[in-house]
Amino acid sequence: MFVLKNFLMRFPFQNATKESLVAFAMLLPSLIFLTAFTYWPILRSLYFSFHDVMLGSDKIFFLGWENYERVLTDSLFWKSFRNTAFYTLITIPLAIVCALLLAVALDTKIRGVALYRSAFFYPVMIPSVAAGMVWVFLYAPGYGPINGMMDALGLPKLEWLYSSEWALPAIMVMSIWKYSGYFMLILLAALQLVPRDLYEAAKLDGVSTWHQLVHITVPLISPTIYFVVIIGILHSYQIFDYVFVMTQGGPADSTNVLTLYIYQNAFQYQDIGFASTVANMLLVFIGILIALIAATLGRRVHYLGR
Amino acid sequence: MKPSFLKKYGLHAILLPAALLWIGPLLWILVTSVKTRVEVFDASSGLFPQNFIWDNYPAAMSVAPFGTYMMNSFLVTGGILVCQIVTISLAAYAFARLTFPFKNLIFSLFLLQIMFPIYAIFLTNFLTVRELGLMNSLPAMIVPFVASGYGTFMLRQAFRQVPTELSDAAKLDGCGHLSTLWHVYLPLVRPTLIAFAIISIVTHWNDYMWPLLVTNSESVRTLPIGLGLLAKSDSGADWTRLMAATVIVISPLLLLFVIFQRRFVDSFMHAGLK
Repeated sequence: MFVLKNFLMRFPFQNATKESLVAFAMLLPSLIFLTAFTYWPILRSLYFSFHDVMLGSDKIFFLGWENYERVLTDSLFWKSFRNTAFYTLITIPLAIVCALLLAVALDTKIRGVALYRSAFFYPVMIPSVAAGMVWVFLYAPGYGPINGMMDALGLPKLEWLYSSEWALPAIMVMSIWKYSGYFMLILLAALQLVPRDLYEAAKLDGVSTWHQLVHITVPLISPTIYFVVIIGILHSYQIFDYVFVMTQGGPADSTNVLTLYIYQNAFQYQDIGFASTVANMLLVFIGILIALIAATLGRRVHYLGR
Repeated sequence: MKPSFLKKYGLHAILLPAALLWIGPLLWILVTSVKTRVEVFDASSGLFPQNFIWDNYPAAMSVAPFGTYMMNSFLVTGGILVCQIVTISLAAYAFARLTFPFKNLIFSLFLLQIMFPIYAIFLTNFLTVRELGLMNSLPAMIVPFVASGYGTFMLRQAFRQVPTELSDAAKLDGCGHLSTLWHVYLPLVRPTLIAFAIISIVTHWNDYMWPLLVTNSESVRTLPIGLGLLAKSDSGADWTRLMAATVIVISPLLLLFVIFQRRFVDSFMHAGLK
């Protein structure tokens, strides 16, 4: 008895174990749902990508790397991949630049700041399906107001969503309208923490507004810009909604993106194995993108910001 | 330093047109919803209708069960929020205040969920939900969102700001972990909870892809799905009715936004910081 007690005294794990048990009990509800709806689907998608699986069938055949070979030689996959990359790599930076300019302009004491903020932010409140639908109307070649404006400005009318050249840019313009206000708000929060006297000093030294923006503001809020870039990339998944509502991937697959291509393979061709393979490629793409940003932007952020 | 007048008005000269451009689509929805069908297709009729036609609203209400859709949206969004508050409070408390093995590893597993939203893993989740027999039910639209890595992260940051003296005092008074969480921590982080709630509500009220995949009957559809179906069924034929339906769908959140503007703005502003 004494030996046991001595043993327990020397390793005070009794208390620690109890605390661990409490902790795991508190984590359990989250972990159950994370396992069922995040980890398990990822593992399963990995498993399916090496098999021939059809929707609604119980039969599974091992294929090895065949699905991946098919993906890499599939021209429609590459087209969707290019469209996804093009959309993400152009829309997010443009929206962030737009948001940064708006945030800097609204980080002043001009009249109607609150009204301006709301005007730029409200698209975030609108469901993607409603936004997509309204922009279909706005882009309508015959009677849509955008072509009306183009006409009034003496510019050529375009077919927009009916043109394989302009459909994806049209969706990108809509996305910038939808997300800039959100990014603007996050950047505004960061701007408000920048000490005012820095600008006063710069102004006294005759530093131009543009140089203030590039050399003072941007470096000081770089951690937040980094955060916004990541948020932006994760939001770019939502292009599925827009493409689904506005173009169904057309015309001639010019707006087909990876998420829609997964959907088509799974629910139109019932090919779960191949769809899972495309899904894994999408995860790899996003993963590489985020890793690249963390390695470049993320590193600079720590150096400059802190 | 006082700003020069040129600079003051120069800013408005840029911001005002930009703001009008941004409000344009909303204005277009509202104006079209009170137009006649003839006016929509007639470019010469101008921006505003000759008479305000309110008939489009009853027409939109009668063509689809928007009352049912709204109720479903309400139940799904509310259900997700209630479940999330429970799971993230418990998990955030454990991460902020308890020591246990593999803490950092488990925390990064939680953050992993932020990287893999439903858009990336909808296919295998669809199969899971079908195997669970949840297809075409309200729970199908709730279960993937019950746990929230983002919410856990937000709340953990807030819990860490709570002075440990307070929880020590609660412990001396005989409070266990659960009652400390309930009586000390949750009341103190109310701003963070509200911020998270607003973001969660906006996200899930507007969800489109996932409810689209797991529902196939009127009785369980949510507002965005109903609107999408209506748009598909009369593609471009009846913009006035469709825009009236759009106003019905977007107005609950926009009204809340107008009323609680500061709260909404603050929530989205500080969501990622601290």
